[in-house]
Amino acid sequence: MTNPFKPRLIAVIVAAAVPMIATAPALAAQELNGVFHIGAGSYIRMGTPGGGFFPNPYSKDSHKSYTLITSGVGGGIRSGVTQNAPSPPFDRHGNSRANSIITPTNFTGILFGAITTVAPSFTLSGDTITGHLRHLYAQWNKQTFLQGNTVYGTYNRHTRHYTLAWHTEVYNGPFDGYTGYWRLSGTFSPY
Amino acid sequence: MTPVAARSRWPLAVLAVIGIGMILAPVAFGMFSKAPDGASMMSSFSPFMTRNRLDGFQADMRDIANAVRQGQEAIRDTGRAAAGGRIVAHVAPQFHAFARQWRAVSSDMGGMLVKIKGNLPNYQAMAALPSFSLFPWFFVIPGVILLILAAVGLARAGAWRALRWGAVVLGVALVLAPVAIGLFSRAPKGAQMMSTFKTIETRHHLRRIQSYFGEMAAGQGLVQLQLLPALRHTDLSAAQIQARYPALNTLDTNWVHILNDMTPMIGAMSNNIVNYQAISSLPSFRLFPWFFLLPGVIVILIALLGDTRRGRGAADRGRPSVLNPINQGVT
Repeated sequence: MTNPFKPRLIAVIVAAAVPMIATAPALAAQELNGVFHIGAGSYIRMGTPGGGFFPNPYSKDSHKSYTLITSGVGGGIRSGVTQNAPSPPFDRHGNSRANSIITPTNFTGILFGAITTVAPSFTLSGDTITGHLRHLYAQWNKQTFLQGNTVYGTYNRHTRHYTLAWHTEVYNGPFDGYTGYWRLSGTFSPY
Repeated sequence: MTPVAARSRWPLAVLAVIGIGMILAPVAFGMFSKAPDGASMMSSFSPFMTRNRLDGFQADMRDIANAVRQGQEAIRDTGRAAAGGRIVAHVAPQFHAFARQWRAVSSDMGGMLVKIKGNLPNYQAMAALPSFSLFPWFFVIPGVILLILAAVGLARAGAWRALRWGAVVLGVALVLAPVAIGLFSRAPKGAQMMSTFKTIETRHHLRRIQSYFGEMAAGQGLVQLQLLPALRHTDLSAAQIQARYPALNTLDTNWVHILNDMTPMIGAMSNNIVNYQAISSLPSFRLFPWFFLLPGVIVILIALLGDTRRGRGAADRGRPSVLNPINQGVT
């Protein structure tokens, strides 16, 4: 004996599944290829090992633990390409010459810059960005500090405004045990 | 093997035991991993452990100390004038707070620099030794040679007569090696340096130095970005500020140099905490000369003792001897 409900059940499942399959590409993670311009509200803070934050007297923010950063000549962080250090990476005072990602910024009297040694990639799922930015380094005073990580943030498809935030602990060197807290915000320009 | 034969072979057995001991000692002490850590530490410290560089650190500290003192004087002097007092009033509390912090920084970091400088001859004595990385091999290689000599002596009884001279040479080398490389004078200096660094090369101390660095940076920023601009708004000219409080401008001028100087030093301290811990977990450096000398003396005595027993002539041939293949039962 056949079940009279079976064809209806199949029909319901098919009816539900077809739109889901049809919209799946929109919901799946989508590559974000382009430039993340670093605009207002972008900063780095150095968390100290004992809690609290390192004050940077040269910060342009009224709260000196926030060192404000802006795009460099490369426009910001570029996906799919590396933004390596120039040669030589520092001037004789230890100021970073890496000016592609951020404009070299004064930290305690010496400019720091940022570089990537492996091309970063970013994906968008809904309005959430996940970035593979593990090979981001800060350069300061003739020293290089790993500051990359997997980064997360938000993206508004209409305004192309994004935010990204992450933190990375420094191992070894003068800032051993410190944690760099990064927040970037600005607009995204697709290639 | 008869008991007599066994008794006669004890010198070779002792040589074998010494050889095995010398091979195993560096393994037991973890020297193969720790000695390269020590070599790495010595190498990392080398740019800083010079009189010039240490004098430079102390000069950096003096630059800051002078700026703190003259900054306080400037605040006090300008504070006497009503207009000047108002201008510097907003800087004064922060600067006085920095001056209080500086006293602690100066005492601790200054004391550390004195200790490090006092250990410069000790560091130099250590640095004049062969690389730490080679030290495990200084045990293993003689140990292997001893073991080979003992094994051949046991396997081929007749060979011992020639081999024992090899043992004597090796023993003499073990005795002379620490003298030749100055281990008797240098190792205690190394021990003294390690002892001094016990309170310096710790994560806890590093954190303090790092916080001092933050305080110094904040203080310099205060001088350059607030105090000096405030003084320029008083009735003092730039030339008068320079004449009365030269240390403020000196700190400003030298600050990048101070950063260039100090941050690598803090980095070296940080990067070598693990290396220091590794090397300090080895037996005291004072003992190291004896680790060569004692086995060397024993090896010489055994080699010569064997020779004495063999040298009693034909009358002894029937008696148990270490070199008598019949008694040894190894032919």
